[in-house]
Amino acid sequence: MAAVNGELALTVLMGLLLVGVAAWLARVENWRSYTPLGSGGVYGGETGQAHHEKPSGLTRWLTTVDHKDIGIMYGLYGVIAFLIGGAMVMVMRAELLDPGATLISNTFYNSLLTSHGITMLFLFGTPIIAAFSNYFIPLLIGADDMAFPRINAIAFWLLPPGALLIWAGFFPIPNLIPAQTAWTMYTPLSAGVGGGNQANAGVDLMLLGLHLTGVSATMGSINFIATIITERAEEVTWANLDIFSWTILTQSGLILFAFPLLGSALLMLVLDRNFGTTFFVNDAGGAILWQHLFWFFGHPEVYILVLPPMGIVSLLIPRFSGRRLFGFKFVVYSTLAIGVLSFGVWAHHMFATGIDPRLRASFMAVSMAIAIPSAVKTFNWMTTMWNGKLRLTTPMLFCIGFVQNFIIGGITGVFLASIPVDLVLHDTYYVVGHFHFIVMGAIAFAGFAAMYYWFPLVSGRMYQRTLGKAHFWLWIVGSNITFFAMVLLGYGGMPRRYATYLPQFATLHQIASLGAFLMVIGGLIWLYNFVVSYFEGPVVTDGDPWNLKEYNLYTGEWEWFDRKLKTTITDGGDEEVATDGGLHGPVGAETADATDSDDSGRAMDANDE
Amino acid sequence: MDENPGLSDQYRTSSPWPVFVAFGFVISEVGILFGLFPVAVGGLLMFCGSLAGLVHEAGYASTPWRMLAALAVVFLAAGGALATTDVAATRGYAILVAAGILLVGAVVGELVVDSGPTPV
Repeated sequence: MAAVNGELALTVLMGLLLVGVAAWLARVENWRSYTPLGSGGVYGGETGQAHHEKPSGLTRWLTTVDHKDIGIMYGLYGVIAFLIGGAMVMVMRAELLDPGATLISNTFYNSLLTSHGITMLFLFGTPIIAAFSNYFIPLLIGADDMAFPRINAIAFWLLPPGALLIWAGFFPIPNLIPAQTAWTMYTPLSAGVGGGNQANAGVDLMLLGLHLTGVSATMGSINFIATIITERAEEVTWANLDIFSWTILTQSGLILFAFPLLGSALLMLVLDRNFGTTFFVNDAGGAILWQHLFWFFGHPEVYILVLPPMGIVSLLIPRFSGRRLFGFKFVVYSTLAIGVLSFGVWAHHMFATGIDPRLRASFMAVSMAIAIPSAVKTFNWMTTMWNGKLRLTTPMLFCIGFVQNFIIGGITGVFLASIPVDLVLHDTYYVVGHFHFIVMGAIAFAGFAAMYYWFPLVSGRMYQRTLGKAHFWLWIVGSNITFFAMVLLGYGGMPRRYATYLPQFATLHQIASLGAFLMVIGGLIWLYNFVVSYFEGPVVTDGDPWNLKEYNLYTGEWEWFDRKLKTTITDGGDEEVATDGGLHGPVGAETADATDSDDSGRAMDANDE
Repeated sequence: MDENPGLSDQYRTSSPWPVFVAFGFVISEVGILFGLFPVAVGGLLMFCGSLAGLVHEAGYASTPWRMLAALAVVFLAAGGALATTDVAATRGYAILVAAGILLVGAVVGELVVDSGPTPV
């Protein structure tokens, strides 16, 4: 009886939801407008109201298909996910301050560990890259918008429900627990077999959420490939396509081959869990099959996450070095080489599983070979800066931080690629230190470099320079303290994924937590800086706040920004700007302000270095 | 021309459909996986309806109804196949019910609603 009542309530709820949606759609989308009236008139012609681009209020954000709006929404989404993922890891780092399980239970630690990984990789990493690519690729290549604006919007709107499903286990829902499978979701644990608690629906919801983010990424990648190939302005050729677009194009290619495979593997796992299929049954080699399928996606995923940040760094370093990117062609070639090689290295995650030694050797060779194009990039960044006219602005500092952390993360990775070393260090904190140097130390650093660099363009205001630098120094020091401690813990034999540990590891764990707390302070400073500057920062009145024209390094997105500023002034649309040629108080005052408090290229360079 | 144009032809960079295509996809996926009959049906209706609306609005089809019918046929086949299995019969019926409603909607729309020219 209760079940029938529940079903009935659900039916009524669904019915109400559908009626509500239909009513809202009927209101905003007047169906009769598609039907020509008897009075005639050219269908689809100007209506007198059609000069507006977007509706106002919440409707604008729910219905937008403008690449810039979608970019902003991706950015906001990525930042929220980053804060949540960061809060999760801070609980873990607090727990790890002492060897026992004093603060949280082991199972809750495992849940946080799983969710932190998935949140940072899928809900922060990929979306924050999509934020920049959505906003700036069309501007950089001179396109009006993305090739498929509606698909762009669908791809974004799949993400919020995806996040809710991934986090669903943490919500106070009866009989639902969070997944504790780690982000790799190894079977048989994730298949829910045996005596554990991972048969719970929370794991199914997490798998579904992950599947949705994969669908979203795939739709986005198709859109970027189509946009970059077909929507470029006439003057943008393959020869002068900017480096960020090249990396996004390569990344989209990787997504196109990697993510559908993840989606299929996830569905197979869901079928195993719920419908009695036997894809990943242990006795038939299912566990190793999962690892092959997962890592065939999982390793290219690393490059999906790192290639666009490399593009950002390749775009930004020249701009603050006063010279063009050294060896541009070779940076592009190395991007493509990494893209191809990334599909030939996956089994280096499985050296310790007992796979055929000949197979292992070949994967070791390719894994080491991929260090070559990575090193080509690194040397090109260094040679770009060499003898350059460096301006140590906050975005530049984050880029240099990227290079530093990428070198450490990369070199520790080359050691792991070696089978004998891997067999010793596999599943230790060394691996955790290695990939955090890359994911946090490099990828997130580049993400924040880009946020600082384009903040004036997106918000029309400048952030506070001193706070930006404080953020950088807290992060570069904090990340190195934390991740070096992890590398050392790994050398000492501390296994990863444990809430408790032997007392001998306590000091290094406490040092790692100290670094993490430094990063939290830096993150809070960043949040405060961006929120306050968004509302109260000095208004940017120059279309070239980074002084790029002087070095002949001006790019399309700033041209667009400059046009926007000029159009705004001509229209007199902004109440802060006078139309009679004179300046209102606030603008003049803020311009003067900018010379001592903003991060603009003009305001700072000489005295800043 | 209509005095009160809809959102999509009033604003160049707006469309009300994508958000519901995404939500419909999510709701139907959750409904089908967990065997929640009304959720699966409602999600599929939202997904297919919005998809047809989007294709129409984008100018790929002159009316949404035939797209709706095509989707109904696809889901009739999928639901029919699932309904014959032992493990997922209820889910199959949910998909069949959704497809049936969509088909009726498509037929009624085609017959009753006046079809205008393709929006541009």
